[in-house]
Amino acid sequence: METKSPNMVFTDASLLITEACVKAGADAFIGYPITPSNKFYSYGSKRFPLFLAGPDEITVLQWMAGLSAAGKFPVTATAFPGLALMAETFNMAYMMELPMLLIITQRLGPSTGSATTGAQGDLSFINGLISGGYPIPVFCPSNFEDAWKLTEESIRTAINLRTPVILLTSKEMVMTQKSFDISKLHEINKITNVNETIDLPYKTYKSGANYVPPFVAVGNEEHLVRLNSSTHDDDGMIQKNSPNALANTIRLKEKMEKRLNEYTFFEYDKQKDSKHLIVSYGISADASRDAVEEIRKNNHKISLLIVKTLLPVSEKITDIMDSYQQVIFVEENIGGQYKEIIYGKISRKNIKQVNKIGFMISPSDIIKAIAL
Amino acid sequence: MKNAILTDIKMPFCPGCGHGVIVNSISKAFIELGYNPLDIIIVSDIGCSGLVDPLFATHTVHGLHGRAPALGLGVAMGLSNRNKKVIVIQGDGGATIGLQHLLEAARRNIDITLLVFNNLLYGMTGGQISGLSTDKFKELRQVEEGVPPFDIVRLAHQAGAVSSARVISPANFTESIKFAVETQGFTLLELASVCPSYGLQKIKELDDFSEEAEALLNYRKVNEVDYIETTSLLDKVEIIKGKFNAIVDERYGILLAGSAGGGIQLAAELLAKAGMLSGLYATMKGEYPVTVGTGFSIAEVILSRKPINYTGLDKPDVIFIMTEDGFVKANNLIKDDTMIIADDLLSITAKNIISKSFTKKVGKRSAVLSAISYWISQTNIISHDAFIEAIKPHKHAALLIKAIETPV
Repeated sequence: METKSPNMVFTDASLLITEACVKAGADAFIGYPITPSNKFYSYGSKRFPLFLAGPDEITVLQWMAGLSAAGKFPVTATAFPGLALMAETFNMAYMMELPMLLIITQRLGPSTGSATTGAQGDLSFINGLISGGYPIPVFCPSNFEDAWKLTEESIRTAINLRTPVILLTSKEMVMTQKSFDISKLHEINKITNVNETIDLPYKTYKSGANYVPPFVAVGNEEHLVRLNSSTHDDDGMIQKNSPNALANTIRLKEKMEKRLNEYTFFEYDKQKDSKHLIVSYGISADASRDAVEEIRKNNHKISLLIVKTLLPVSEKITDIMDSYQQVIFVEENIGGQYKEIIYGKISRKNIKQVNKIGFMISPSDIIKAIAL
Repeated sequence: MKNAILTDIKMPFCPGCGHGVIVNSISKAFIELGYNPLDIIIVSDIGCSGLVDPLFATHTVHGLHGRAPALGLGVAMGLSNRNKKVIVIQGDGGATIGLQHLLEAARRNIDITLLVFNNLLYGMTGGQISGLSTDKFKELRQVEEGVPPFDIVRLAHQAGAVSSARVISPANFTESIKFAVETQGFTLLELASVCPSYGLQKIKELDDFSEEAEALLNYRKVNEVDYIETTSLLDKVEIIKGKFNAIVDERYGILLAGSAGGGIQLAAELLAKAGMLSGLYATMKGEYPVTVGTGFSIAEVILSRKPINYTGLDKPDVIFIMTEDGFVKANNLIKDDTMIIADDLLSITAKNIISKSFTKKVGKRSAVLSAISYWISQTNIISHDAFIEAIKPHKHAALLIKAIETPV
């Protein structure tokens, strides 16, 4: 007879992510129901200070942009069909520099595919979501602890970098219930911006050395705010291609990349003298953890890298990959989307891939493919 | 000028464009109403009407084509402040592409004013006709489309706009805008405009080519959004303490396979909780068609002495088969050493199969609970007491416990 912990509960990551959102200071959940993000809708309606049922996904993201412009922090959760409809407005929010969080629960595609089957198939789309190839911060939880922590970090990043952020999950991550010790969860406090000093006269898009213009809500009585989805100068005035407006556009890329260290998260389980590295993320990470344990039991050497900030790709992550003779990418899609982002489509001798669709990748799939 | 609504930036419109007349009317209306420019948020769309931002000394938000009513509604719901005025501006093209947003805003009846500058065409892309181009204008342009224009004044009215009106004469613009702004709720004004580059040349032509002016009212109370305090979801989850014994070495996989309405998902959850009450780690995964009320219902439960990483169930140790639907889904997972517990209403042959009259004895809703109870009595993987304890918090506990205690 043993008691593992006084705080074991049976729950799912949708609940943990919803709770973490509100604890971190999110004000509103704007929902449009879609499988497998439906638990977020249900929890969101009970927990957020404001819950609104949108009539379609385009409206959802437009309302969110409006709320964000007014100084509120909005959240939604969807799957690929909804994300596809949101693509235009996501670009708008990105250009306007409006903090918000999109939770994407991946399911099997293409198109409407299989709504109740998990997948890791949307990373390539998200990587190219912004016209011009600008980077979006994309976080990907690999277990319940991550679901809690990365939700907090998503909101922190959205606020500190003034940007929409994506939390990329999958059906298997947010619908599966697990026994979980909630005493492992750290306290999350309301997040406030770390870099808010306003130089006068206020200009909506004038940034200092940290690449991010201080955020002021529309409707305030001190500073005139001009938000603009079209190419604009520091004042938020529409421009064709003036030097100031182009510099402002390039800054959108710079702010993501120059401050990447603030929001790069990964888990690196290094085994000394190992020549092989498994790279995985999200729902394939746990199978990779189990596979690594099994491989080591059989006296082979193997290291494991679980990537939690998928985009933009940090050099910290590619440096680790570069230090191995062979890198094995484990992801539940057909092409190896994360692998492609880093190494391109061409196959290489030092790269192996474990891919599958329709079912989770199992530890034995990985062990078999590596064949040490 | 103090509290000027407009900047001193030159109008960006073509000479003779009707939009300048409307912009000046907006400014006049707000000055006459005595507004501070920073209490006004202009939300603009794409197209010639979307060039207005720099002209206003108010807050401005320049968005996407057709989406401005949704964006403006979001701003109003974010501010949730009666002293702030959100004015959404779009053209007839924007109103066409974003009609859903317009109707939704009317239905919601949050306090915003939508001004549709209707110059009867898409001015920025070469004068193509829009959904609001009138029949008379299409005739003039020799466009034989054969479909009538949208009447957005009536559509908005039907959707619930407190006030919606079409105003043709610029002499009436300022007063109409003042009325719309001062009316609480969603108000819409379709304001007639001309496009000398591609459409009507002169404002006096408007009378001949526009729909009739009209004004419609709905007597509705304005809606407001409230941000309310809620309590943590974690306060509501049940803490489960291990206090029973279990015979599980490492990992034990259980598949429950049945049909919708057969209590499969509930049984799986109770079984997982019984495992936790026995000091084990547990996972549960449900699978069913998108039409949840019919067809198969499958649930996977893993019980383990060690924390569970991978939650897939590639080789179940026991499979409960309650219905034909369930058998079809579970069939390919049956191996020679898999223990099968099946309802005797089914005719299944497998090596390690035990068939019992679960459904006959306790009915189809509780049959799977009865089967689990039988499995516990045969294997003692977890204890009967743990299963009872897991069921106790359920609102129909007495009924469920009766089912598992009925001999099969």
